[in-house]
Amino acid sequence: MGGMHGHSDGAAHVATCADCQARAGLRGLDVDLNRVWIGVAGEVWAREVGWVERTAGRLLRSPGLARALLTTPSLLLSWLLASVAVLAIGVLATHTSGEPWVALLAPGLAGAAIAYAYGPGIDPAFELSRSMVVSDRVVLLARGLAVFALNALLGLAASLVAGQAVGLTWGWLVPMTMVSALGLAGATLARSANTGVAVALAGWAMIVLAGRAETRDLAAAVTPGDLLPLYFVGTALCLVAALYATNGRRSEVTLWR
Amino acid sequence: MDDDALLAAVAAGDDQSLRELFERHAPWVAGRLRRLLAPSAVEDVMQETFVAIWRGARTYQGGGPVGAWIWGIARRQAALWARRHGRADLERSLETMLERPAADDPAAAAANRADLAQALDGLGPEADAQRELVRLVYVEDRPLADVARLLGVPEGTVKSRLFTVRGRLRAALGGGY
Amino acid sequence: MTVIDERPAAANGANGHRPPNVAVRDLSQRFGRTRVLDGLDLEIGRGVFGLLGPNGAGKTTLLRTLATVLSPAGGSVRLLGFDPSDAGERRAFRRRLGYLPQSLGYYANFTVFEFVEYFALLKEIPAARVRPAVARAIERVELEERARAKLKTLSGGMLRRVGIAQAIVNEPDLLLLDEPTAGLDPEQRVSFRALLREFGARGTVIVSTHLVEDVGAACTEVGVMDRGRILFRGTPDGLVERGVGFAAGDSPLERGYGAVLAASRS
Repeated sequence: MGGMHGHSDGAAHVATCADCQARAGLRGLDVDLNRVWIGVAGEVWAREVGWVERTAGRLLRSPGLARALLTTPSLLLSWLLASVAVLAIGVLATHTSGEPWVALLAPGLAGAAIAYAYGPGIDPAFELSRSMVVSDRVVLLARGLAVFALNALLGLAASLVAGQAVGLTWGWLVPMTMVSALGLAGATLARSANTGVAVALAGWAMIVLAGRAETRDLAAAVTPGDLLPLYFVGTALCLVAALYATNGRRSEVTLWR
Repeated sequence: MDDDALLAAVAAGDDQSLRELFERHAPWVAGRLRRLLAPSAVEDVMQETFVAIWRGARTYQGGGPVGAWIWGIARRQAALWARRHGRADLERSLETMLERPAADDPAAAAANRADLAQALDGLGPEADAQRELVRLVYVEDRPLADVARLLGVPEGTVKSRLFTVRGRLRAALGGGY
Repeated sequence: MTVIDERPAAANGANGHRPPNVAVRDLSQRFGRTRVLDGLDLEIGRGVFGLLGPNGAGKTTLLRTLATVLSPAGGSVRLLGFDPSDAGERRAFRRRLGYLPQSLGYYANFTVFEFVEYFALLKEIPAARVRPAVARAIERVELEERARAKLKTLSGGMLRRVGIAQAIVNEPDLLLLDEPTAGLDPEQRVSFRALLREFGARGTVIVSTHLVEDVGAACTEVGVMDRGRILFRGTPDGLVERGVGFAAGDSPLERGYGAVLAASRS
């Protein structure tokens, strides 16, 4: 055994050497070395927390909520890059065809992202999450808002780059809200992220096609126009549905595999 | 596995080897620190020490026994702790604390002294002044202020002479000091 | 509905003013039209309580209700003195709760440490204590060597132990374990029983299991459930007595269990 310079293992030496006695546990040290090791292990095994998570933790006053936010599937880098790619294609399409592709794509992307933010359809440990101090509804709210805000920003950026008329640059935010709410309601009611995506996209497709059939103009179909109160009511209904779907009385907790 | 292999494994990211190192070395390091610090302070310093070992295992150059390297880190962490808690007296004691402790037993103390005397002899005649210094600080365990007074020099001079002597002892003894 | 209640007098609260850790009155839960729990009464104090029963008996639904994953359709529940129907009290209770669901999914790319740490954070363990608490939990379930391994590299038994680790990370006063020993080998089950006893000494542990022998070895009290009701409640020895003269069963405890079930169904 290496260690201290000049120390032997011989009994005669150990009898007079404080160091070797301590090592052999013979000195009745009142220091809790187990507790020390636990502290060391905690630091050695842990992953370093990035500045984004630390800042979020302080702003939200909850490191748990911050981490739940940063582990949202639709906020992961891969998802964001995919969204950016889709919107980039939309911008190009708008440039070439003049049709409002960005306004068409953005709400769909948001709806899908919201459906993939939370719930048993996407979270394998969902049942456990429902027993946590940071409640699953708080997590849902935080994730939903963050995903929506991020998608709105991305959409706006794409819109500005595409250089569309003012109405088209902002107008699709209203349908986006409604489509996101549809995605949320679908995902929470059916306890399946994929169902949420399907509901959101199908709903959006129907709105656009119906609007286009009526006015023969895609641009008008993607902006709220006279239908604003309907969007408002629709969004509210979806949110109520989501609230119902996440309350504690629903005894069916299907587990995603 | 011997200590060098363990430390190499730690440097490669093996946390189980760190555990092994801890089991071997924590008791005596804690024992030494305990002579100067209260139990809870010892625990804090020990934790800082072994986390520092985990992070700095790659910096071990292999110049001496692993135990001495570990003790060097522990001493540094203890000095940092002392500074954070405004314990300048502790900081000083730690700075001059030899890797090898003054043993409680007279026989061991004699053995220590013999080793020291032998090492100093090895340094040559110009070590006479240093011999006196070593005797006062390490063999008689006097506080630095006393030593300064006895030698008629400022404390700072004592400290820098100690630094030199320790360097030479280290070279003569091969890493133990 | 007659319940065979053979608890010693002390456990009935006769000796103390301390309210029981778990107090359930007339609890009912429904799944569609089916009454999964039917007017269930239960009081549990400190110790390890084993919950036995066939599939569909309602054990998991009961545990989910106690874990506040489900809210009661009828009746009342008091847990560690808290009323979980109040949001603030529910949060306070959940800080002292540990729960291992019957099937716990895993985040494949998390390491063992990250997974346990995630739930430690969601349980709002004070920030400075999170890392040591997680390390301690991992050591207790003997997974130190895999602390930094990704969950997708672990076997089923190890994953179960990770689940146990997240349940105990906050040193809960009420520990609910639904089929915790699935996938554990006999040696690990022995270590696990020591863990149960440790937590049962200072709080309440409820273990739902179909392994009758696990119950016999570690539990201070036993409950037998069927069709949403508690049929028997007492000590393991009391259950054994019920089985004297019953034909089916490989062990005295199994015979007792079989006897109680048969009596209720006849």
